[in-house]
Amino acid sequence: MQRFRQRVRTLDVYDLPAADLTDVRGLLIGMHCDQRQLQRIQTKLTDFVTQGGRVAVCGQIAHPFLPGLSRFIPLTNYRRDDLIVYARTPHPVWAGVHLDDLTYRRGVAGFYGRGFHTPPAGTVVVNGLGLAQLPLDFVYRLGRGEVLVHGGNDLWGYVADSTSAHRLTPQLLDWMERV
Amino acid sequence: MNRLPRIGILESGASYHTFALEDPRIASFFARQIYLPTLCAADLADLDALVIADRLHPGLLRRQAATLLAFANQGRTLVVLGEVEAHTWLPGVHWEARPTNFWWWLEGDDPGVRQRSPEHPLWQFMTLPDVTWHYHGFFRPPAGSTPLVALEEDGQEVGQLLYEDRISAGGRLVVTTLDPIYHHGSNFMPAATRFLENLLRWLQWELDSDR
Repeated sequence: MQRFRQRVRTLDVYDLPAADLTDVRGLLIGMHCDQRQLQRIQTKLTDFVTQGGRVAVCGQIAHPFLPGLSRFIPLTNYRRDDLIVYARTPHPVWAGVHLDDLTYRRGVAGFYGRGFHTPPAGTVVVNGLGLAQLPLDFVYRLGRGEVLVHGGNDLWGYVADSTSAHRLTPQLLDWMERV
Repeated sequence: MNRLPRIGILESGASYHTFALEDPRIASFFARQIYLPTLCAADLADLDALVIADRLHPGLLRRQAATLLAFANQGRTLVVLGEVEAHTWLPGVHWEARPTNFWWWLEGDDPGVRQRSPEHPLWQFMTLPDVTWHYHGFFRPPAGSTPLVALEEDGQEVGQLLYEDRISAGGRLVVTTLDPIYHHGSNFMPAATRFLENLLRWLQWELDSDR
């Protein structure tokens, strides 16, 4: 994220309760965050979104911390076909990203997603997992803002990728700033 | 009859901490789960051992270093899992980072993971394949500690991925670079699950034998 330091600053999750979010357009919430802490400050996070902010949540949710989030459901006894990423609805964050670049890393499937979350009613599912197209990537409205969920490793982890997956980070920031 | 050894685990609310500790195969080892941001010495008073889950917030651990060291200095056992910057808050720990070798298994590389101290009781519970997966770096343990899993680069031993240290604190430190709770709790990598279960089985046996 070094090259995006003009656009992104790091905030410790334990400093979030006291943080002034007035000038913040979006929050990137990563897979290693303390979700008990996020749940404790869910009113602040919810207000941030309902007042027009955008939040991208990556990882597997164990402690839902925003309205519309639910616990992660892992795939069990999965086979390679169950790990293929399928496009369902176009979205600017994934524009120009070849889904094979997400499904496979060096020919191995499963890094992008190995399970799903149940989205709230009215959600646009962007990418689905396996033939059942389980909701892996989705976006929903919350008040005047939006929540984007990716049920796998941080989308910005692909920032230096040699494949089309590197487009995810700048496009995610563009999407947040376009509010 | 003696009571069973009491083991606690320090976690910090990442999804993989929660999911791993909801799994009865793992949860059943622990008398208490302790949330790091609210840790106080009283949480540890009746424990024989404390496992520091991998990938805890290093800043919070540094703030709690005195409490954790006091625990180890009372003759008890501290098991420190990986990716917690232990070299910044635990005595005797010297760390050297390496680029993560995620793809060793695909490239057919020998990852250089070697068994040490084969007579150590750990090896009655653990096999070399349980500890042979990617690593993020290695430790140079203090003199007098017991190497358990070594790392070789170009045929030369450079450090340890797992060791036991009865020198640096009044009790026992078991320190590893591996991060099994992250992988087990993310439903990923069966070797990490075997490592975690077998490490805990050994720990329980060891504490039982101490009494």
